[in-house]
Amino acid sequence: MTLTQILKTLVTIILVISFLLVTVSAYQQHRRISALAELSDATTAIVTRLSVEELAYVDNDGNLHMYTIDPAKLEGLSTRREFGGENFDFQVSVRYEAGGERVLGPFGSTPPEDRTRGSLAVSCVLYENAHFLPAKLSVMAWRA
Amino acid sequence: MAGLNNHGVADVLAMAFMFVLLVLAAVFMHSYSLRPLRAATNRQLELKSEHLYKTLELAWVRPGVSFFRAAAENLLLEQPIVPRPYLRSTMENVLEYLHPSGYAVAVSLSYENASWELSWPEGAGLGLGAEKQFARQGEVRLTMAGGENIAVPVTVRIFEIA
Repeated sequence: MTLTQILKTLVTIILVISFLLVTVSAYQQHRRISALAELSDATTAIVTRLSVEELAYVDNDGNLHMYTIDPAKLEGLSTRREFGGENFDFQVSVRYEAGGERVLGPFGSTPPEDRTRGSLAVSCVLYENAHFLPAKLSVMAWRA
Repeated sequence: MAGLNNHGVADVLAMAFMFVLLVLAAVFMHSYSLRPLRAATNRQLELKSEHLYKTLELAWVRPGVSFFRAAAENLLLEQPIVPRPYLRSTMENVLEYLHPSGYAVAVSLSYENASWELSWPEGAGLGLGAEKQFARQGEVRLTMAGGENIAVPVTVRIFEIA
């Protein structure tokens, strides 16, 4: 075997190993990204359910006002949900402006430092003192 | 071919091809893996657009008068309940407070040849040509003094600032 042949074989082996490493790394990144996308979708689902159902204001005639938050419902809110067989905990707060920014909350357990967290803030309406005010509903969610 | 093999050129070409294949595969696999996250982010922006529309439809600029109703009155009536300067100033403040970070917001109402438009930040335009935009369309219904019922088309658009 000549020196040239040995070098060619070495380069080929290095290229094959590099290809395998790149494939494994891309697969691991794909799994990490998929996990992040699932967390993002879970956060989206939590926000949707809160704003159209669980925190939605119900008037004296029993009519449900979707996208309108009833602050009285924030305190008794359960802050754990299950999506796709996985449990997610979340923290919720509502911000609005009335002569300076005011914050209701946060409600729910404190987010752990060592877990990946997904957060989402959407605009909503807050029913406060018989007025419908523009506000922001913020949710931070993480895997339980 | 035999001549190429004798000089080792075929082997070098094969290795160069493998190297190019390796680089292309790496770029493709890494860019493809980001697609689910981009899609999830876009779904969140769709949701923000829907929520912003519903907020402007339901929240009051004056007791009993929503932002959209006030804007529709400004478009159709000579003497609307909420004066134009007050409405624009208040809605600008609301859009500034509620807009998604890094994105501009445009609200537009039109009826026949007239239109009412507002965007934040000021001068951002309506974002019609923006590469990334999330629009929510609907209508506001107003009953005029003569009993005529008018539907005014409304568009709320969130778009990436260039």
